[in-house]
Amino acid sequence: MPGATLSRWTMSYFAAACLMLVAAQGLMVAGYGYPFADRGAPETLVVVHLVAIGWLSLLMAGALLQFVPVLIARPVIGGRFAVPALLLLLGGLGLLLGGFVALSGALDPPFVLLPVGGVMLLAGFGLFAGILVVTLYSARPLPLPARFVATGLAALVGATLIGSAFTVALSGLAEGPLLDRLVADGVALHAALGLGGWLSATAIGVSYRLFSMFLLAPEVERSTSRAALWGASLAVGLVAAAAIFVLSGFFGAELLFAAALLFTLLAVFFYGADVLNIYRGRKRKQAELNIRASFAALGLFALSILFLNVPALRTGDIVAAVVYLFVFGWLTGLGLAQLYKIVAFLTWLEAYGPVLGRAPVPRVQDLVNERHADILFRLYYGAVVVATLSLVAGTNGLFRMAVAGQLFVTLCLIREFIRARRLSIVPAALRAPAGMVRPHLFLPLSAFQGDK
Amino acid sequence: MNEMDKATLTEEIRTALRMIIDPEIGKNIVDLGLVYDIVVEEGGVVYVTMTTTTRFCPATDFLKEAVQACVWYVPGVEYAEVRLTYEPPWTPQMMLDVA
Repeated sequence: MPGATLSRWTMSYFAAACLMLVAAQGLMVAGYGYPFADRGAPETLVVVHLVAIGWLSLLMAGALLQFVPVLIARPVIGGRFAVPALLLLLGGLGLLLGGFVALSGALDPPFVLLPVGGVMLLAGFGLFAGILVVTLYSARPLPLPARFVATGLAALVGATLIGSAFTVALSGLAEGPLLDRLVADGVALHAALGLGGWLSATAIGVSYRLFSMFLLAPEVERSTSRAALWGASLAVGLVAAAAIFVLSGFFGAELLFAAALLFTLLAVFFYGADVLNIYRGRKRKQAELNIRASFAALGLFALSILFLNVPALRTGDIVAAVVYLFVFGWLTGLGLAQLYKIVAFLTWLEAYGPVLGRAPVPRVQDLVNERHADILFRLYYGAVVVATLSLVAGTNGLFRMAVAGQLFVTLCLIREFIRARRLSIVPAALRAPAGMVRPHLFLPLSAFQGDK
Repeated sequence: MNEMDKATLTEEIRTALRMIIDPEIGKNIVDLGLVYDIVVEEGGVVYVTMTTTTRFCPATDFLKEAVQACVWYVPGVEYAEVRLTYEPPWTPQMMLDVA
């Protein structure tokens, strides 16, 4: 059986994602978008899409290109399309943001940027989803973690289609009652499919495997795992049905959405129970920092979904605060925590994999400084909680300070990623054995053992 | 090559393989229980059966090639073949107490 290869462009996806996170937080610190503008204002849409597409989706896409083979024990099919997909996503996002800026009136680019950006994003996500759908299809019957990814991909398609329709409506390119209804009542569904279905269901699936792998725990497909999958999949199905109800003008979309949130809460409960079981069944005495920091994200995930299930908290500015907690506490927290590990792991493979067995090499752990990063993650989560509470309290000055704290930690973590890539922390005696290949910062090596 | 020579060479190979670490766990692959079997045949022909902690782990190819290279360098080995298997799948219970 052949072994898995390294995904050539994963590190490029990660680098672009990190830059987008810095840009988004920088804009918030500068007072751009919510809470300094309305929740639906074009300025807010710029920040939201920088985070959702630029940071989270690129991060997830890069991670999936590397880890889907680990989930299904087969290589990625069509990995060569990863670069065109990345370019389409970056180009599409740029045009989309330009379109939002045009809507805000700050500059005067043509409104047509929005639909063109929408089409490019549709093509980029379509190409990426195509790679994974073909890959997953070749591995049927899918193991449970991969089925979460399949659910996430279905949600991605839904979120992208609704988003593309929004770009057409907002640019004024087309009009009609269908689009009017979607713009009026479809925003929450678009966000739920993107942040909940695509990003969260996929993150849950991959984490089942990564947690077992990193904690040396036996991989058991429990009834609770299947219940979590059903809960997440039903939730995505209900949100998709709600979108059809909205388009058709049928009554009941809100009820379907509330039911989807309830199923999500159940899925989170079962997922949490599974993670606890994996942790208890671990052979590794002490969990590494990426796992500990991920647990904090999981806690904030459960909390934010619990809040979203309270109807009183789904209205007004409170819902914005809860969504902030969900995006920066759960998704971004988990993303940064796993990135901390994955960057070191992939760097180790590039640098020391080829000389393994021929010379003494460091461990993956030798590429990072956990004590330093442990403080950074504590600061990060503290800043997220303060930012969330300041949104609830309406203290915008405190919110800016808290986001500035998040931005500072993000920059420090990026510095840690770069130090890992540069092998700066590796003890000098082990750093450069004969035959070692020094990795590029974010581009693949020319003679790289990557996917085809 | 008598049985004692084969046993000695097997032990030398096992010792040599202890220089290969699993990058994630940081322990050597022998003590982790990743080397399932070492068979030495006449003329220094060696077959090693091994696994990885995670099926289709991105480090799989590197580990397999490392074992191949390491075994070749053991004096007395004339030919080495490494087979990768996931039957039975590795479990943490397979680790030796020293790991």
